[in-house]
Amino acid sequence: MTIPATLGQARPLEPARLVWRARGRTVGLAFRQARLEQRSFWRSAEYALFTFALPLALLLLIGSTTAAGDLPGTHVEGQMIFVPSIIAFGVIVAAYVNLGTKLATLRHDGVLKRIRTTPLPAGAYLSGVLGSTAATTLAITGCIVAIGAAAFGAVPRAGGLPELAGGLLLGVACFGALGVALGMVAGSAESASPIANASYLPLAIMSGIFDPTFPVPHWLSAAVGLFPVRALAQILQQAYTPVEHAPLSDWFVLLAWTAIGAAVAAWRFRWN
Amino acid sequence: MTAAIEVSGLTMSYGDRHVLRGVDFEVRAGEVFCLLGPNGAGKTTTVEILEGFRRRTGGTVSVLGLDPQTQPTRLRERIGMVLQECGFPRQARVAELIDSWRGYYASPRPLADLLQVVELTEDRNAQVRKLSGGQRRRLDLALALAGDPDLIFLDEPTTGFDPESRRRCLAAIENLRALGKTIVLTTHYLDEAERLADRVAILANGRVQVAGTVRHVARQAGIGTKIKFTAPERMRDGTVPPPGCVSMVIRGDTAVCAAAGATPASAVRDLLHWAAVNDLGDLEDLSVESPTLEDAYLQLTSAGGIR
Repeated sequence: MTIPATLGQARPLEPARLVWRARGRTVGLAFRQARLEQRSFWRSAEYALFTFALPLALLLLIGSTTAAGDLPGTHVEGQMIFVPSIIAFGVIVAAYVNLGTKLATLRHDGVLKRIRTTPLPAGAYLSGVLGSTAATTLAITGCIVAIGAAAFGAVPRAGGLPELAGGLLLGVACFGALGVALGMVAGSAESASPIANASYLPLAIMSGIFDPTFPVPHWLSAAVGLFPVRALAQILQQAYTPVEHAPLSDWFVLLAWTAIGAAVAAWRFRWN
Repeated sequence: MTAAIEVSGLTMSYGDRHVLRGVDFEVRAGEVFCLLGPNGAGKTTTVEILEGFRRRTGGTVSVLGLDPQTQPTRLRERIGMVLQECGFPRQARVAELIDSWRGYYASPRPLADLLQVVELTEDRNAQVRKLSGGQRRRLDLALALAGDPDLIFLDEPTTGFDPESRRRCLAAIENLRALGKTIVLTTHYLDEAERLADRVAILANGRVQVAGTVRHVARQAGIGTKIKFTAPERMRDGTVPPPGCVSMVIRGDTAVCAAAGATPASAVRDLLHWAAVNDLGDLEDLSVESPTLEDAYLQLTSAGGIR
């Protein structure tokens, strides 16, 4: 039997099909990795407890000590600011602190080196890890929103959904990228956690995450505005309370830090 | 037999430092091949190039018909590695960890099978951090085997083990050989290489100095067979002259003879003839010892040998 010439011509398509099959497999592996990461996260009591307990405890603490009514000098109720601020804090803890220390530990323990011996593509691994981080962040956000609504009557405004969804998405991308960068830059598993806390806590305090009335000199406020902590908090605050001239710059700050985080993560990425 | 690995003219330089200066060797499918050499000889560099972790400076390398430099992912589907000092996730359990590793491969080996090969079936539900050093090493092996590889790299698999852990680890490696896997082993223990390897290669000064079976390597080192027996009283006090047919030294109460130029069999015949003539009877504790890999290795890598 002779093979029609057209069949012979169709052959060059084969590699493309293989590439698609490989891509499909990579996506499947990424999902599977995300599930594995979630399982290990929920099994690891210290990570899960720390990641959930800290934002929730702060939420209850701040909520119970903040006087009811408008913030001094504004027409904004306090809970409409501190509840979204704690959501931002949850994102930072889950995506930056948690992911950074976890990757530093895996690297230090030689687990990343071992994963590198398998055919799992680096992209699939990192996608899985980031996907798991996003799932964790979503769970924490859900808890904070629910408690914020039930205990303090803070409900996101209907028109604020784009800010809430966009802020969470970009927040996870930005702090996730910074978390991967931290995991690569940290010299050891032990140093990752102090570095993480020392880098975001002062910013969080000066950004008014724990106390919106925290007094900061003008020049310092301008400096803090260059960092992603207040930017994320402000975007999420807009999801709760309308701001007349919402600054677009917050989005650009988050985007810029996402790029910086991704660049450092790619530049310093190593398996051991 | 086809070649699983073909390396020819492999060079590797870091700036002015030439670590590999033209390495040639071949690993046949289904054999246990042992790469030996002093520290810093380039063993790890060579293995890392074969595994696709390091880009070579020059030469050609084929591993299972693939170039590790350009096709690392396809290659990793078919090879397994036990690296030095690789950790485990802190919360993991044995069977669960192996199972999650199986998922990284397109056609993994059955879980029960993996547990059996490395003798961890009874510890399948144990927490990884509670395993002993030897058990962890066998778990390393199970993870390396998860994808049912055709070729396995083992980098110093028994370093720092007590004799019992070592014995079980070696047994697991012999199980692998029985499965028909090709194994590339690097080790510092020459007795281990001697026991496991079909062929060895000694790497020093950036080149393969000698490669082949242990006997071949020993011949290349120029070490002869030794014949030993307990030196009789009358020989030690000089009453009976030593045999002229072999060169002999006495260490303690043992006479050690090297069959100079003759085959071991004819040297033994000559010795027994000398003993009969001098009325020494059967030589007590007579033994014929082929050179060990260790003798050959030390000869080849010591000053005057290779350097």
